[in-house]
Amino acid sequence: MRPVDFIRWVLKALWMQKVRTSLTILGFAIGITAMVTLSSLGEGLRQFVLEEFTQFGSHIVAINPGKTETFGMAGILNTTRPLSLQDAIALERVAGVEKMVPLVSGTAQSKVLGRSRYTNVYGVGHDASEAWRMPVAQGNFLPNESLETPRAFAVLGHDLKQELFGNEPALGRYVHVGGARFRVIGVILPKGDFMGADLDDAIYIPANRALQMFNRESLMEVDIFYSPAVATEVIVERIKKMLISRHGFEDFTITTQDEMLKTMDNILRILKYAGAGLGAISLLVGGVGIATILMITVTERTAEVGLLRALGCTRAQVRNMFLGEAITLGLLGGIAGVFVVVLLVITVAHLIPKLPIALSMDIVIAALLVSMLIGLVAGVNPALRATRLSPIDALRAE
Amino acid sequence: MLLIDQFHFNWRIFKRHRLRTFLMLLAVSIGVAAVVLLTSLGEGARRYVDAEFSSLGSNLVIIFPGRNETTGGHPPIFGTSPRDLTIEDSIALGHLSAVRRVAPIIVGTTNVSVGSLSRDLITVGTTREFLDVRDMSVTIGKTLPDDAREIASAVCVLGSKVKHELFGSRKAVGEWVRIGDRRMRVIGIIEEGGQSIGMDMADIVMVPVQTAVQLFNSPALFRLMLELQTTADVERVKRRVLAIIRERHEGEEDITLVTQDSLLQAFNNILSTLTLAIGAIGAIGLLVAGVLIMNISLISVSQRRQEIGLLKAIGGSSRQIRALFLGESLMMVGMGALAGVAVAIALVFFSRQLWPVFPMTPPSWAIPVAVILAMVTGVLFSWLPASRAARLDPVLALRGQQQ
Repeated sequence: MRPVDFIRWVLKALWMQKVRTSLTILGFAIGITAMVTLSSLGEGLRQFVLEEFTQFGSHIVAINPGKTETFGMAGILNTTRPLSLQDAIALERVAGVEKMVPLVSGTAQSKVLGRSRYTNVYGVGHDASEAWRMPVAQGNFLPNESLETPRAFAVLGHDLKQELFGNEPALGRYVHVGGARFRVIGVILPKGDFMGADLDDAIYIPANRALQMFNRESLMEVDIFYSPAVATEVIVERIKKMLISRHGFEDFTITTQDEMLKTMDNILRILKYAGAGLGAISLLVGGVGIATILMITVTERTAEVGLLRALGCTRAQVRNMFLGEAITLGLLGGIAGVFVVVLLVITVAHLIPKLPIALSMDIVIAALLVSMLIGLVAGVNPALRATRLSPIDALRAE
Repeated sequence: MLLIDQFHFNWRIFKRHRLRTFLMLLAVSIGVAAVVLLTSLGEGARRYVDAEFSSLGSNLVIIFPGRNETTGGHPPIFGTSPRDLTIEDSIALGHLSAVRRVAPIIVGTTNVSVGSLSRDLITVGTTREFLDVRDMSVTIGKTLPDDAREIASAVCVLGSKVKHELFGSRKAVGEWVRIGDRRMRVIGIIEEGGQSIGMDMADIVMVPVQTAVQLFNSPALFRLMLELQTTADVERVKRRVLAIIRERHEGEEDITLVTQDSLLQAFNNILSTLTLAIGAIGAIGLLVAGVLIMNISLISVSQRRQEIGLLKAIGGSSRQIRALFLGESLMMVGMGALAGVAVAIALVFFSRQLWPVFPMTPPSWAIPVAVILAMVTGVLFSWLPASRAARLDPVLALRGQQQ
């Protein structure tokens, strides 16, 4: 039997029972659709979060005071081992460091004649604008001057400027933040959220002024942006050496972007596969469907099997034909399901561009392989049944 | 035809096609079990969070220093604000009649060492009310002294894990430890098993709040916890608290109040939605099972053409035939659903034996909804095949001919 004949036989057998075949494929396709859609949602979320994190580039390390794992609260808590502004200044001189952003954050009230608003306050340095990709819309960002004796300048986020000044010009005006007076020298272009914090409804002041305002000795974090030419391990080693020489021992935590991304990626990957797993339940039911239908088919076609065997088909050939039918059913269901998902993803991308949904090739391929596999598994029992029939009995079955 | 006759009739058909019946039961029961199990998972998560919160004691109000007017923003977790929330504020709020307990909290990281053993730990400066509010106690020794608000005494209470790491099985109470740049005497060990939201109570060191002020050189409280009288009107207390703070903070309301109820409510909403969503995903399996039922019923109708002809010939009405086929799938789905529910309950039971902390439970609506959904699917998907059977012309059907 030539392969072409084999395929033709399989397709014809399926074609003869249009309703039955299409219902089986429908059931299976629903399962595949569920599985691929859910994992696409997971993948979309993963890409969205990773993009959020890599938008500032990937050569970043963050340094927090204290050497405990405190669920990302490291810098916020008090510490007996401060990471001082002087440490930050020293870090800027480490070879390979391109930009350094010291960070102190808190909340305070910003007041302008008659208007006021409580928002987040970020104490940062000159490099923050470039490093965090927050270009100014008007004026300038904080000037590149001594971190220890900065002038009382403030830069407003886009929303905060609207709240305090409306459409009037804000540059050159004074704003009282937590009781101290600052001159507005810039307004930032709308930037959006980062990890739940609204960067537009915030005010940016020099780090040292923020330390004074919040009565703290320690920065909450220092972000180091290093040259791509330097390996991560090297820069981490240099930072460690520098800080240990200043503090005497290792009382800080260094988090590299790579590590963070890796942890995050792992978590999000689990989410993606969990989605696929949930969808796979329906696929399992679809698999049971294929098995049931094939079982019936074999019983119905006993006579046909007898004839094939009488004509000289071997047991293996008969088995392969039925297995072929099973795999084809699974594969057709898989293709139909993937097709529906592709339509769905395209529609969603057009209608709700904000919803992160992304088809990942590995899931599509996995879905098709799994559908063939399920078809195969479902087909084994019926196919063996067909081979066990003796040709004479089978022929007589009619 | 009596109902009991129909049962007998269907039963015989099931027995005739044992394997086919088994596979269909399997499909339906997977669908039903998936719905029940997945919703149990969601409900389990909800109950877990519920239990975590209730370990915090009831009627709790948490005060964050600072305020954020950004819409949809989270509470000011930084805890940094130009005007500090202080121990004096906490004493003033304690005077409110509706307030049962006040626990001021200063949190920081410090190095804690005994001899050559040293660890960086979360240090909580607070008063004895902190443990009471969390419904915990000290197993060995004493809790923090009464005057923790006023006097910076050099004493500390260790979490159970910290005690084991620093002292092993030696006696810790009465010994000296070095915390930051000071020496303090251990006066007690916190009871084990206090995993509370956001803080592992076994892995902390507690010191008097006044000591923490000196240790971290800052009078600023990180949080302030108020436990209200059970009869207190929360909204009214919130207004009073804000009024007192305004008076003490030169007319500014620079704090954020979060009630435990609102937190719990938020979590509950999220988790309930999640439960519904994964339940719905599980129900897709039922849909697939429905398609299978339709397929099999269609086959069954065409195979039993002659039988239907005979039934009609001896006086069965179209309606009876339809009822017969619908009844067959209902019975099948019913059995499948029962099997699915049984499997799900067994699995839930086992998981609860294995992980008692995570109380997996099917929500009250899950089982009835799953069973009814399965039944409805069964009827919907066998309606077409049953109608087809009912429409058969008796004469042609008896001859086994197509129409």
